[in-house]
Amino acid sequence: MIRKGKGIGCMWYPIGFTVAANPSAATVKVNEDGTATLLTGTVETGQGSLTVLGQIAAEELGISTEDVHVVSADTDATPMDTGAIASRTTYVTGNAIKLAAEKAKEILFEVAAPMLNVKPSQLEAADRKVQVKGFPQRFLPIDEVALQAQFVQGQPPIGSASYNPPTVDMDPETGQGKPFSTYVYATQIAEVEVDDETGDVNVTYMAAAHDCGTAINPMLVEGQIQGGISMGIGFALQEEMLFDEKGVQINPNLTNYIMPTSLDMPDIDVDIVENFDPTGPFGAKGVGEPTAVPTAAAICNAIYDAVGVRITSLPATAEKVLALIKEKNEKDIKQLSPAE
Amino acid sequence: MDVELIINGEEKTASIPPETTLLKLLREEFYLTGAKTGCDVGDCGACTVLVDGEAVNSCLMLAGQLQGRSVETIEGLANLEDFHPLQKNFEDLGSLQCGFCGPGMILSAKQLLEENPEPTKQEIQDAIAGNLCRCTGYTKIVEAVADAAKEMREEP
Repeated sequence: MIRKGKGIGCMWYPIGFTVAANPSAATVKVNEDGTATLLTGTVETGQGSLTVLGQIAAEELGISTEDVHVVSADTDATPMDTGAIASRTTYVTGNAIKLAAEKAKEILFEVAAPMLNVKPSQLEAADRKVQVKGFPQRFLPIDEVALQAQFVQGQPPIGSASYNPPTVDMDPETGQGKPFSTYVYATQIAEVEVDDETGDVNVTYMAAAHDCGTAINPMLVEGQIQGGISMGIGFALQEEMLFDEKGVQINPNLTNYIMPTSLDMPDIDVDIVENFDPTGPFGAKGVGEPTAVPTAAAICNAIYDAVGVRITSLPATAEKVLALIKEKNEKDIKQLSPAE
Repeated sequence: MDVELIINGEEKTASIPPETTLLKLLREEFYLTGAKTGCDVGDCGACTVLVDGEAVNSCLMLAGQLQGRSVETIEGLANLEDFHPLQKNFEDLGSLQCGFCGPGMILSAKQLLEENPEPTKQEIQDAIAGNLCRCTGYTKIVEAVADAAKEMREEP
């Protein structure tokens, strides 16, 4: 018989390394045509981080994302970055880029201020212009300012900065410290169908609410969450490396190391919980690895809700679930039998 | 051995050892590297191409079997003016992340849409079940195939 159940999994996840230094550096160069070149050591692995980092530079400089040329992951040209790990790229590299863009922008403001007869502090950058705060009709196009900076002032509008999340090592006497600069939070809900005659588990629906700070690119955040859920489903129900007694893997192919296919994916509702973090670039934190954290817990709680058995080792394969159901049924029958 | 075949509408010939797979022929003789070498044993679908309109694992097919047949790879989908609607919708929705499964995924979907212009979600999931993706959770891929189907029905 198919039994249905619902389960919840919650998590928090820290962004960046635990106390250890994990700095990122960036260089932002505003070109004479009003575009910008961003140099970052971080690597794009498909998550869309270079898009998000380009968006951060563009927002700070008041230009369009398509005006930002991103050069990444080339030690010949780009400054140092700790890497695309620990869900740190948007937060740590993003902060470095925002600071670098700010410095380049300050040079533009110094150059533009006398041209507009105001102080640099009275200027802002928006819509590809350097304009007077409160008087946007008094402006100079950003390309004109960049050209003036290079040709007339001899001061190229280039900014470089590094960011390392502030942490405090644990005090061995008090046990107190600040291991991470910021954290993200999420809750996922799973609906499952469990066949109590075979132990087979089918995830029919997942809802995922993630606080990632400001979602700089909501489409990419959704993609990360959907991908994380597929990895979580594999972790919960399918994926397991098996070894023989000599330590040789006995399932080294994708026909016997089972991972989710399109047929294993439930409908997913993604709920991005926007939560401005004052320490992040434009309030952003991160979203990569956290997406896969609560999925297996939610699914195992849903299995308990459906058939009343606790999964204590993953993956919850049909064999394992069925064995637990049988064990439970035997126990239930014993309890029902009259005492001898 | 010599083999004559049509690749993306163009007649091609190659002189190859008989054990050459279609995947090797495409990648190493004709430098069409869109079809990816993933598992190389027919499990992952990254090497999917269309042979006479049918999606196949090119790593499991010998090039010699292609004599006189027509092969379509991802390189044949876009022209200089525009992407194929599948490619365009994959891009618009951010359906791919690392992109390794992309060429195979899109060609499996192309066969589906040629046979079934109005597929249900389940039919799309069935059609790409042999193409493994480790990044996306398939959600945005299924949505993009549905959107492309709609677009192709409206503008045939």
